[in-house]
Amino acid sequence: MSELRPILLVEDSPRDLELTLTALEKCQLANEIVVARDGAEAIDYLFREGLHRERPAGDPAVVLLDLKLPKVDGLEVLERVKKDQERKHIPIVMLTSSREEQDLVRSYELGVNAFVVKPVEFSEFFKAIKDLGVFWGILNEPPPGYRRNGRS
Amino acid sequence: MDDPQQDLTACEREPIHIPGAIQPHGALAALHPDGLTLVAASANLPAFIGGQTVLGQRPDGVLGEVLGQIEAWHGSDQPFLRVIARDGRHVLTARRSDGLVVVEVEEARAETDSAFAIFAQLNNFVQEIAGQRTMQDALEACARVVRALSGFDRVLVYRFDADWNGRVMAESGNERLPSYLDLRFPAADIPAQARRLYAESRLRVIPDADYRPVPIEPSLNPLTDQPLDLSFAQLRSVSPVHLEYMRNMGTRASMSVSIMVNGALWGLVSCHSAEATHLSPMLRDACDFVVQSLAMRIGAQERAEDAAARERLSVLGTRLLAAMTGASDWVAGIMSDPDALLEQVGATGAAMIAEDRLEVAGDVPDKAAIRAIIAWLETRGVTEVYATDRLPHELPQLDGISRNASGLLVLRISDVASNWLLWFRPEVVETVTWAGNPHKMVREEGRIHPRHSFEAWREQVRGHAIAWSDAERAAAQSLRTAIVGVVLRRAEELAQLSRELQRSNKELEAFSYSVSHDLRAPFRHIVGFAQLLRERESGLESKSQHYLQMISDSALAAGRLVDDLLNFSQLGRASLSKSAVDMNKLVDEVLRSIALSIEGRAIEWRISRLPPTFGDATLIRQVWFNLIDNAVKYTRPCEKAVIVIDGQEDDGVTRYRVQDNGVGFDMTYAAKLFGVFQRLQRAEDFEGTGIGLALVRRILDRHNGSIAAEGEVGKGASFTFALPLPEKKGRALV
Repeated sequence: MSELRPILLVEDSPRDLELTLTALEKCQLANEIVVARDGAEAIDYLFREGLHRERPAGDPAVVLLDLKLPKVDGLEVLERVKKDQERKHIPIVMLTSSREEQDLVRSYELGVNAFVVKPVEFSEFFKAIKDLGVFWGILNEPPPGYRRNGRS
Repeated sequence: MDDPQQDLTACEREPIHIPGAIQPHGALAALHPDGLTLVAASANLPAFIGGQTVLGQRPDGVLGEVLGQIEAWHGSDQPFLRVIARDGRHVLTARRSDGLVVVEVEEARAETDSAFAIFAQLNNFVQEIAGQRTMQDALEACARVVRALSGFDRVLVYRFDADWNGRVMAESGNERLPSYLDLRFPAADIPAQARRLYAESRLRVIPDADYRPVPIEPSLNPLTDQPLDLSFAQLRSVSPVHLEYMRNMGTRASMSVSIMVNGALWGLVSCHSAEATHLSPMLRDACDFVVQSLAMRIGAQERAEDAAARERLSVLGTRLLAAMTGASDWVAGIMSDPDALLEQVGATGAAMIAEDRLEVAGDVPDKAAIRAIIAWLETRGVTEVYATDRLPHELPQLDGISRNASGLLVLRISDVASNWLLWFRPEVVETVTWAGNPHKMVREEGRIHPRHSFEAWREQVRGHAIAWSDAERAAAQSLRTAIVGVVLRRAEELAQLSRELQRSNKELEAFSYSVSHDLRAPFRHIVGFAQLLRERESGLESKSQHYLQMISDSALAAGRLVDDLLNFSQLGRASLSKSAVDMNKLVDEVLRSIALSIEGRAIEWRISRLPPTFGDATLIRQVWFNLIDNAVKYTRPCEKAVIVIDGQEDDGVTRYRVQDNGVGFDMTYAAKLFGVFQRLQRAEDFEGTGIGLALVRRILDRHNGSIAAEGEVGKGASFTFALPLPEKKGRALV
């Protein structure tokens, strides 16, 4: 299954993490779900630094990124990735609690691929997560030369 | 209009200080400062000094006797030297001029020159004017004493106005010459260069207008190659035009003494006789002393009056300043004390223009005229202060302002904005009695002559006001400084307030930001986990199912409440994007969006054609949505709901109405309808967060619009909102 790349879920709230993981589980995606609990860990993973120095090369199919994160917040992670020549093609979806205009504007300025406000209603939330997983994890075709698992 | 001054330019150009000749009642010698050798002399010098006058040699005779004194004086810094010759019959006066020593020799007149008698008269005069109550009394005393000392037939005290027209203020005479009291003489009678000369040399005398000038030889000063400057010479020969003027006045002898007040030419004491009148240098000095005593008295009086006026004005200025700082708005403050404002500069009307505001006090021209005056001031580039006492002449294109606005005093408060303070004075119709028609000049053979006629000529002066005094201008200037200070301080306070508001706004934004993130998440978690629990425990009995449902519903409602609140707070900051709005289209869209939720309801819609309006379409759609949604909601109990939607345009304002026959409301609580979290219905009867109508009103506020509601319990409710069209933007709606 070398074609199926992992989904990186960056989420600090344990409840949100559980709900999102449950939702992803329910849509029965085959993609591996990698969890980072703050912005710094997400960057370590994406840039293969720190704890993730030894991980096999390869970029995730998509990053589901919360906005408010400890240490390094979502917007900073987004900026680091989108300004990096090798990683700017990694799709990043902002998955956030509210639709604040300034966050929206800033995210799109930085090159976010999608901006999703978590619905309060669970069935809607579930549907949103499922759509995201299916679209970015399976349907979306990355650009040529995109770094696959184990290769570069 | 004829300007007499234009016609007298020939006279203005005449170089009267270098006539090259003297009058024959004395003799003149110009000596070289080194060795006092003779450089130039009047032709009559030998006869006067009784000695030889050879150019290049020291003169002898009575002049030769005093050369030692002249030498000593020349080394000192005294302005002039006056000595009586040893024979007691000659008076010599030496002055420095053009690098030379100019000596004038005259005969003393022993019969009138009793020093004791002269001193007694002077002493009397000084005591008299010190005791005079009014200026007029002092002027009359001066005329009397000068006539007594000099023996002239008529002595006039003559005062210049701002345009150098002269007016006879006091007179003393023996009736041999006609009275000129109260007559005016046009400025052209004494040309500008003559006035300059009068300021430099205080006393002029012409003992006999029919004199034959005595030439000075050589005519050019060998040191400068220029004619000798005789500005200070008492014997200076005068202009032929002036002699003709004297003959026209029927006078053969004249003397005039300048009244110098604070260094400026205030007026003249002008003496005339029908016959030749000779005055010794000593008597002339006595007359000069009298006039200078008068000048000091005038100066002291003017300073005292000026000080009193300034003091009074500064008290008024303080009153105005207090009114300005006390009021929330300085324009209102300054206009709240119109008496002080008018009295500040002695005006009868005032107008204050601050941007588009125009406020007036007292007697002023109509507003269109005031605006025209402002426009004219703008084109003139007036800064700070401007004053005129003849506005109708300055601004002839504007009719009808002379009655109350002949005088205008202007303060420009701000250079950038159009902020003005104007004071007005009424026309003073003055009947001036001229000594002959000043506008009529006489021409003979291409040469201009002064007037032949001195018959009184009356003229009405129109479009003139009493001139603004220095003290009044100074008061205006200091008021301007005060206003600018107040305005600047206000601006500073506003800037401070705006900084504080910005800071608290930032704090509010940060607050709502964290609310939106942190408050929303727990509700989502409750709903999510309740749902997961329900799916997991499929065998849950109905009561537990119900409780789970209540948990979900409550959390959902709270989540919606947070969303609505955020919407409401964001509305205050979001910028509006305004354009023409088709209201029919918006209502259609709203009806389609609620179509699902009203399935199965019997609603009769009565929708009229709506006029278009102007605003932010997204926000106005929200208004329609909330009002229509309310109408649908509150007619739910009705068997047959009737909802009326109509609108009209009226005088630049569009009004729309949503009316229903639902549960209505009690008008007692109408004021509470539009407040946040205000509900007039129980929550279990009608769902909602209590923000809908508050949001509607906020949207309309931001459009400078308004909303009103009418209702009756059980009969229905009617909401009418109004939106201004662009050309009426900014106007308040009720």
